[in-house]
Amino acid sequence: MQIRAYITRRLLVLPLLIVGTSIIVFTLTRVGGSPIGIYLSHEMSPDEVAELEARYHLDDPLPVQYYYWASGVVRGDLGWSGVAAAPVTEVFAQKLAATMELAVSAAIVAVILGISLGTFAGARRDRLPDHVTRIFAISGAAMPLFWFAILLLIVFWVYLGWFPIGRSDPDVWASISHPTGLYTVDSLLNLNFVAFRDALWHLFLPAMALGYGATAIIARMMRSSLVEEEQEDYVDAARAKGLPERLVLRRHARRNALIPTVTVIGLSFGFLLQGSVVAEIIFRWPGLGRWMADAVLRGDQATIMAYVMFTAILFLLVNLAVDVIYAYLDRRVVLGK
Amino acid sequence: MTRNGLRKGHARRGWSIIVLLLVFTLVAAACSDDDEPSETTASTAAGSTETTTTAASGAEVSNPGVLVHAADDEPTSLDPAQVEAGEGGETVIFQVYERLLEIGESGPDPVPSLATEVPTLENALISADSLTYTFPIREGVVFHDGTPLTADDVKYSWDRVMTMDLPEGQAGTLSDTIAATRVVDDFTFEVTLQGVNASFLNAVVPSMVSSIVSQDAVEANGGVVAGEPNEFMTTDMVGTGAYKFNVWNRNENLQMEINQDYWGTPANLDLRIEIGSDPDIRVLGLRAGDFDTIETDPSFIGDIEGAEGVTISSEGLTVEPIHIAFNMNAPVDELPGTDTIPADFFLDPKVRQAFNYAFDYEAFLAGALGGFGDFNPHYIPIGIFGYDPSAPVYGQQDVARAEELFRETGWWDEGFSVSVITEEANLFEIAALVLKDSLETLNPNFEVNVLAVAEAQFDEAHASDPVPYAMWVKNADPFADPHPYLSSYAHPDGEWGEIHGFRQAYQDPDQVAALIDAGSVELDVTRRAEIYAEVQALLFDDPMWLIAAQEGSVVAYRSWVQGFTNNPLWPRPSLKFALMDKG
Repeated sequence: MQIRAYITRRLLVLPLLIVGTSIIVFTLTRVGGSPIGIYLSHEMSPDEVAELEARYHLDDPLPVQYYYWASGVVRGDLGWSGVAAAPVTEVFAQKLAATMELAVSAAIVAVILGISLGTFAGARRDRLPDHVTRIFAISGAAMPLFWFAILLLIVFWVYLGWFPIGRSDPDVWASISHPTGLYTVDSLLNLNFVAFRDALWHLFLPAMALGYGATAIIARMMRSSLVEEEQEDYVDAARAKGLPERLVLRRHARRNALIPTVTVIGLSFGFLLQGSVVAEIIFRWPGLGRWMADAVLRGDQATIMAYVMFTAILFLLVNLAVDVIYAYLDRRVVLGK
Repeated sequence: MTRNGLRKGHARRGWSIIVLLLVFTLVAAACSDDDEPSETTASTAAGSTETTTTAASGAEVSNPGVLVHAADDEPTSLDPAQVEAGEGGETVIFQVYERLLEIGESGPDPVPSLATEVPTLENALISADSLTYTFPIREGVVFHDGTPLTADDVKYSWDRVMTMDLPEGQAGTLSDTIAATRVVDDFTFEVTLQGVNASFLNAVVPSMVSSIVSQDAVEANGGVVAGEPNEFMTTDMVGTGAYKFNVWNRNENLQMEINQDYWGTPANLDLRIEIGSDPDIRVLGLRAGDFDTIETDPSFIGDIEGAEGVTISSEGLTVEPIHIAFNMNAPVDELPGTDTIPADFFLDPKVRQAFNYAFDYEAFLAGALGGFGDFNPHYIPIGIFGYDPSAPVYGQQDVARAEELFRETGWWDEGFSVSVITEEANLFEIAALVLKDSLETLNPNFEVNVLAVAEAQFDEAHASDPVPYAMWVKNADPFADPHPYLSSYAHPDGEWGEIHGFRQAYQDPDQVAALIDAGSVELDVTRRAEIYAEVQALLFDDPMWLIAAQEGSVVAYRSWVQGFTNNPLWPRPSLKFALMDKG
């Protein structure tokens, strides 16, 4: 009941947070300059430029411009993307599935590997596995994503030819329907295992590249937390009772070590979304990140607004999920107080 | 042994294993083959649905049956009525749609396409007063939707461009030239011009805005509405070309298939244009064999040169010179606060000449362009009819002459500060920086502020009248005839002439205007060339621009590509994919 009430309260506050964020982001993008430029061509006359400005309400005061933008959002109209030459809403839907597929895959890689490695290392403190994991963690945190991604491409794509670039083989993609837009899920729904294999094969390198940094951070946090928990009296008590070491680890120490780790996982998801911009550019992944990168470089404010708002909302929801998981893992945590 | 002792023993053994592994790796690396990638290992992995065949050279050909081209940018529209000059959409339109006449493979003269003859005075397809052009339409041509091509479609295609008159398109190319269009019969189309126009057959008829579309397809999908784009035509194509449009996966690729009912020589391969990769990734893709042809910058040639199985085509020059503008109409009160130039700064031809002499052309060519490029006279690019190889050119820095001119104008001692606006992170920014370096090295009293901004910001300033900056950098739009260049970039009353105030700057604007106008109506090619030679000599002493360079046309492709043909007068990347094959 307590958790349910907490979730409800947080969801009720969410719209206010979103509106506040939108006002800040809208103001900042407008401060950077008028968004009219992306719609112009140099052959337009000043009258035609003025007509465009009037059409998009860009000659109105800033609060009025925000009002038109916000009322458009409520109607489901996020504006026109000059970069994509299409409505933002239409392009967004197409790109969202691709980005989420990549980000979630990278997150799965990071969480599974990170927790496993962290546990493995924490349970073997100051021994070889612990040292190797530390080297892995440091290199993951230190290595720039773009460099690591290009390195993977050079080795596995150009030299070895083991993995491809992009999201799919166009012919295989065209052979299945796409009800969800998630290639892996759609291929399973179509019972097409050639497509499923194609999806995984294309997903492997970008997910590994994107997930590596987060894996390292999660592993490091898990290892540190586990080492701390192993010093606690309750762990000694569990050992004294005669429990096997693996049960002491799994049932007692790891559960509590997961608490701070879950916080890091939640934060990491936000970083994965940011990192997806670079990963999508390098791996030619047709997601929001690539679109967003073009939009930033070319000053397409409609696209920028949509992406920033999406990221902000996602971040807020993920943090809510993290808080709830936190309470589940640690019964001492009381939400909302 | 104690638990601790056991642990230390384990640790020592562990470190020994690591050291052994490192040594093994180093030895293996030292014994490995050279660094060049082998073509066979660049093939796609096992388990893929893509297969490979072996080229005649022995290399495995990736993606057999499909030509994969990695493009620089993505189209904003596939509609000939909406596409902007030099923009990615023209590349696709060129492959799928056709025009009455095309620039031939060896160019620059137009050759018959959907028309069966090039109108001339001799074959009486141009009227005696040179105002009416008659085009016999090719019979037996069908659109991709199966409907037959008739003269009605031709009239409809041109009329729709002029009716829609989209500001982002090139409607002016037709509406500034054409007085009337007429269907004489099912296979005869007639055009009456507003005035005698020597560039009509070269610059207007083969241009992408003049592409012939299916009237039935357009009418079934929104028709023609003045001032409004047609959503169907923006994202779909129904033409007569060697390629049939399949699908446009935004930010990913465009796919086209061979038109089996093509009236001419059919294409050999399907076509897939991969969109918008990072330039480094395009280069890697070419080396991996996933891309057959790529658009690339001259600065990336070093990464490709010597790579196995890769050929670089660097013949020819693009016809989009990179130029730096002198704005005689710049509103002094609205210039950046650091600018100290007066309103009449660029009215003095000596100042403009001095800028032209001061610029370090070799540094720009050797650096940013990787040595691929040349310097053209004002204002006809090399490769365009009328270009005079003997015309004087600002292609070499002359600091002594620049100093002399600045002293004569009085600016040498006084100094000045001027801003130049440019798009960021491309050749234009580098040109601006070379200008900055050239002038500031010449005289510490000179200051050039380079304002490198996002494309949208630059476009906004560029579209203003007056332009609120004294100088800006961009490339010219591409044309196949000298008149549009001169009209836009040299005529005192032309597009930029009006915006930048050429008429007040030229020493004899009427002479310049008269020559350019004479060239535009002179149908005798010899006489026309003489007129343009005179123009180029005149503009050398009275330059309205600083032309940094004419960029080389550089395309890299896999050696298994056959029939590679590159004509800079074709839309970028100047390739006709239907001519190519693999194997």
